[in-house]
Amino acid sequence: MQPMRILVLCWLGWALPAAAELPADSLYQLRTELLTQEGTRQPLGMYRGHPTLISMFYGSCAASCPMLITSLQVYERQLPAAARTRMRVLLISFDPEHDTAPRLGVLAHEHRTDALRWTLAVAATDEARKIAALLGVQYRPLPEGGYDHSLLITLLDPDGRRLASTTKLVGDAQFETRLAAAADSAPR
Amino acid sequence: MRLSSRAAVLVVAALLLSATAITSAAAEDDNPYLPVAGGNFRSALPADGRPLHVPGFLLQRHPVTNAEFLAFLAGHPEWRRDAVPVVLADRGYLSHWLGPLEPGAASAAQPVTRISWFAAEAYCEAQQARLPRWYEWEFAAAASGTTRDARGDAAWRQQVLDWYSRPGGGRLQPVGGGPANYYGLHDLHGLVWEWVQDFNSLLPADADPEKFCGSGAQNLQQKDNYAVLMRIAMLGSLHGADTGHSLGFRCARDAGGRP
Repeated sequence: MQPMRILVLCWLGWALPAAAELPADSLYQLRTELLTQEGTRQPLGMYRGHPTLISMFYGSCAASCPMLITSLQVYERQLPAAARTRMRVLLISFDPEHDTAPRLGVLAHEHRTDALRWTLAVAATDEARKIAALLGVQYRPLPEGGYDHSLLITLLDPDGRRLASTTKLVGDAQFETRLAAAADSAPR
Repeated sequence: MRLSSRAAVLVVAALLLSATAITSAAAEDDNPYLPVAGGNFRSALPADGRPLHVPGFLLQRHPVTNAEFLAFLAGHPEWRRDAVPVVLADRGYLSHWLGPLEPGAASAAQPVTRISWFAAEAYCEAQQARLPRWYEWEFAAAASGTTRDARGDAAWRQQVLDWYSRPGGGRLQPVGGGPANYYGLHDLHGLVWEWVQDFNSLLPADADPEKFCGSGAQNLQQKDNYAVLMRIAMLGSLHGADTGHSLGFRCARDAGGRP
């Protein structure tokens, strides 16, 4: 009887974390694939387990997109160093034609993003449309090249649930508060 | 003995496969993809104010019906209303059906509604198709029964507009009830709103400039074409998981191949 009970307890202890299913309101429910700056294929939930800032952009954008990267760095810099190390940042391009893995690598290098915690990635055209629909990002290709798009930064909890979002590149106090709380409460 | 039972399994599998093929072929026969020759087009939502070129494409004859969507669910249980995650379809998703696989009072020939964009896109992908792009939908919907672009015809415009002023919430008519247009397409106006693939590219005209980057200005044209402008405003306000009583869809394919 005793060994059986131990066996059951072991099985429960082992199975529970593995079977931890995504909540129904997790954005990671979308089955899709990203190509990262390192040339690897990753699911949307590649940073599951960490509070994550997620946004969409295109790399050849002259003005707003570098601003977006800087903006994310500024929001992060306001966090205490220990809390910052728990955060992850995922920037997804909707321009697979131009934003190849090497190109994203160059962009990451130019902006000195922290490769341990940041990923620049790109999605295939149809998949990017789905990710944008999930996040609430609007974008449209322009006839002369480039895109019109909305700037939206979304904060996700470790399971991919939306905690907050902002359209302000700097100084959204409410968003900063939510970000600080999310980074602080994350498991160490 | 073992060999023959394996052979029997293979035969059954082959029969099942061909049965599936027949079913999907039958679904296509019921709602075929009709060719729409492309052309230059003045959109109500031009990217840069100039006429654009819409390449030829194929569009389903009428909106997808309850019967067609039910057949899809049999093969794709992850899109049943009791299985789909709320981020991909809100709580209204197929909520008018009696059960997850029982349309109940929603009749076979009615357009399926209360469908999220994600579910509509998944349905089309399963048919090696996709949702039509906005410019394709607008191009096809500009046709009357006799001409490819009837938008200059005030009487036709009024006829289209009459539907939009009818109160919503009434019982949906079966598909195909309205007259066919120039391409043989039914119900582009007068039955349901329809999802388009790039619904989240129809940036609102009064967008906060701080929220947008890029050089293209949003200028709605044809200010008297209310029916289309209302559609743009409605689609532009939606989220991908949203569903609605009179929001359905149909699928499209590229003219050359699929999807």
